[in-house]
Amino acid sequence: MEVWNLIVGNPVLNVLIALSHILGGSFGLAIIALTIIVRLITWPLTKRQLNSTKALQEMQPKIQELQKKYGKNQQKLQQEMMKLYKEAGVNPLGCLWPMLVQFPIWIALYQAIMRALATTPGNLLDLAERLYSWGIVNQAIPLSSQFLGLDLGQTASANGSLGLLLAIIVGGTMWVQQKMTQAPSLDPRQQSTSRMMMLMMPVMFGLLTFGFAAGLGLYWAVSNIIGIIAQYFVTGGWGYLRLRSQSQPTPVKGK
Amino acid sequence: MKQSKVLLGAIIALLPLVFVSCSGATQATGGWSGPIVEDGIIYAGTRDGRVVAVNVSSRELEWEWPDSTGLRSVIYSTPIVHDDLVYVGTYGGQVYAVTLNRGAERWVYPRTGAIGAIVGRPVVVNETIYVTSSDGRVYALDVAYGDLKWRSEPLADKLWTSPAVKDDTLFVSTLDGHIYGLSLETGELLGWSFEAGAGFASTPVVYEDRIYVGSFDRYLYAIEIGSNESRWRFPEENAAGNWFWASPIVNGSTVYAGCLDGRLYAIGAETGEEIWEFDAEDSIVASPVLMDNLLVVADESGTVYVFDVSTEFGDEAVPLKTVSIGASVRAPFYARDGLVYIRGEDDSIYVVDIDKGEMVEGWPVSLAVEE
Repeated sequence: MEVWNLIVGNPVLNVLIALSHILGGSFGLAIIALTIIVRLITWPLTKRQLNSTKALQEMQPKIQELQKKYGKNQQKLQQEMMKLYKEAGVNPLGCLWPMLVQFPIWIALYQAIMRALATTPGNLLDLAERLYSWGIVNQAIPLSSQFLGLDLGQTASANGSLGLLLAIIVGGTMWVQQKMTQAPSLDPRQQSTSRMMMLMMPVMFGLLTFGFAAGLGLYWAVSNIIGIIAQYFVTGGWGYLRLRSQSQPTPVKGK
Repeated sequence: MKQSKVLLGAIIALLPLVFVSCSGATQATGGWSGPIVEDGIIYAGTRDGRVVAVNVSSRELEWEWPDSTGLRSVIYSTPIVHDDLVYVGTYGGQVYAVTLNRGAERWVYPRTGAIGAIVGRPVVVNETIYVTSSDGRVYALDVAYGDLKWRSEPLADKLWTSPAVKDDTLFVSTLDGHIYGLSLETGELLGWSFEAGAGFASTPVVYEDRIYVGSFDRYLYAIEIGSNESRWRFPEENAAGNWFWASPIVNGSTVYAGCLDGRLYAIGAETGEEIWEFDAEDSIVASPVLMDNLLVVADESGTVYVFDVSTEFGDEAVPLKTVSIGASVRAPFYARDGLVYIRGEDDSIYVVDIDKGEMVEGWPVSLAVEE
């Protein structure tokens, strides 16, 4: 735990507090700025993921052809699809890494939010042990947890209707982001699974937002919005979000 | 499809990690209400919201209030005793007056609901009890009935330190870095206030016409009452290693200040120059206490240091006695008649005999409710 705090926890905490001081004492703006910094740091991974997404979109006609051709033989279909991915130099798991990399950041950020806001005298005293000697950090204490009517140290559920709105924004932006990348399947069995997947993540993160400090929800919302913007410009449009609404996939014959 | 399953599986597998990691950061440290001793009885607040009275001689519990289940609210504020009542403010935002002899509730303020969380120790002056609250206000209550005499306008987001009184003025330090003077009679803000570059962590100490107070910016300030400029700040150049959380104490021409950097500093009250510094084993959270010519200091490791600060030895950074109680110390402690009463972070009361330089036999006594 000490190693974690030394390498990740305390640096994130101190940077967050320093940003808050630089941005006129606004903890909310500090979270947004930190989100942008995190997205910039993880940009190479994101870029790779988006390129994979774009390549997958371009390969979609070929994939649909394979689905039609080998629809009855799932094993063969998987083999042919893997072959196709290999030939195109696309890693279908490319989207996994940016998300996995963000897990420790979420943990560090959540800890930083709770520690920085120091809602009890005990927490404030514990905070002293984690701060660097930078004047900018020490002068920023105590931080105000208020941002756009939200108390960032309280759970979204404790923030009432604004917290609910935040949870909806987190879930909604995540849904849009997923929808932009996830290709519609021609296989009806896969269609239902895809639909479930498409809903599961936004609902799960919406619920997590409801149960965690609103500051973390703010991070997720901003991160998703940045993700959507990056995706729009790198992949050149709304991807499957637009495509889906234009044409529904035709079920595979005989299914 | 397999890829999606792998992704989903990874996310679900990592979620418990997120929960576990996050829950660790939300744990609140318990309250640190210190003890007070009156007529052979120790009074202290507990983490589960009880006020307990422990007999010093028998080490038996005389009474506990309200009962063994407590108020279910942490108590940070150290109780105070006045006449036949013991007063305590709770983190739940209520002030209680409890009888000394039986531990029966005499009054509560507010009568219903709560004000902001109470952290600082209240003070009693002229039959009025003054309480600072996390709603940023100071409340003046009648000691006998708990009736509100006045409440100040909000001075800051939170007031977590105790008020200090000199003559007819009440001084408060705020977490956002202000010192305010209020009329003791009416609670009205006086014309003077002082603003520092960072929040004040410690209760202001008023000595003669000067206020000594520690700040989050790692400096200790000496402020002339009525002046907007500090007379000096310590250290003169580079800031200390951490915050000055504990309140300083003044002994004649010397100010003694414990710091979270684990040092005790002796500073010239007039000049702000360092006379000596002493390296304790750990952070100093609890404010030092003077007992005649003896300065008692306790650090977070549970080591108690006793310095002779008489004229003959005042410039020596060598403790006369060192006693380890084996429990972390954050709560204010109480010293009287050669004995030091300390509430450890393990929710036990320790009594140290200064002359003998050891813990009094039979102590500590746990304040925790027996299962």
